[in-house]
Amino acid sequence: MSSQNIEVAVAELDMITDVFNRIVSSCHSKCINPRYSEADLNKGESVCVDRCVAKFFEVNKKVGERMQSMGGAGAGGAGGGGSPFGM
Amino acid sequence: MNVPGSGITHPLLAPLGGPTPPLPPDLTPEERTAVLTQLRWTKYTQMGMESCAFKTFASGGIGFMLGGFFSLMSASMQYEDPIMRANSAAGKAISGGAKTIEVLKETGRNMYRSGKGFGKVGALYAGTECVLESYRAKNDMTNAVAAGFISGAILAAGSGPKAAFGGGLAFAAFSAAIDSFMRRETAEED
Repeated sequence: MSSQNIEVAVAELDMITDVFNRIVSSCHSKCINPRYSEADLNKGESVCVDRCVAKFFEVNKKVGERMQSMGGAGAGGAGGGGSPFGM
Repeated sequence: MNVPGSGITHPLLAPLGGPTPPLPPDLTPEERTAVLTQLRWTKYTQMGMESCAFKTFASGGIGFMLGGFFSLMSASMQYEDPIMRANSAAGKAISGGAKTIEVLKETGRNMYRSGKGFGKVGALYAGTECVLESYRAKNDMTNAVAAGFISGAILAAGSGPKAAFGGGLAFAAFSAAIDSFMRRETAEED
């Protein structure tokens, strides 16, 4: 494995981890009641988290399509994070 | 996406290990499939128990049993009035044995009727609350109050619109009282 392949793999790993952390942080702050009365998620909370993650990826996809149509040299790929999300 | 296995699978890190959860390495393929199948079934069971259909069904069942139990406990008070006692099926039976059978049959019928009523209430309330919570994706008291109002209105619908409205209000108030008790701040348990 050339060092360039390893660098690409490491960069991809960093990107995925960054997106994952953003999703977790964003959906937690939106969906979970600050009053922790029990450890398990309620039905409402689990439904909210499902919808939050789905919406996140939808937004990601839409923004990606827009950027591609603008002809931008997409710095992030299909799974990329970055400034357009703002969070 | 071809990321070489990172080798570190941790619940708090991004899930890069692949679709199957990490298992200990010293398992034969049959044991692997058995463990994975068991994990899958556990997941499905848990999903089923959290679903709205199961909650409705379980609430209805518990309501039925509770209604039957209450009716059983009040069955002995059915026969306090001597005139009603004489006119009931038990009063008209001839022998002691026939009277006993009639009393038992009447008790069974009352238990079933009361159980059906409670079961309807329980299933309706639980189902409505679960559907509302799934729709709003929020867990707070307005689900309980709204579900109480809808259940009360549906249960009293046969008596006209004013009765339905009043019944809905009463059930909503009762539901709000119970729910605020369940959600109260308890003392810290340190």
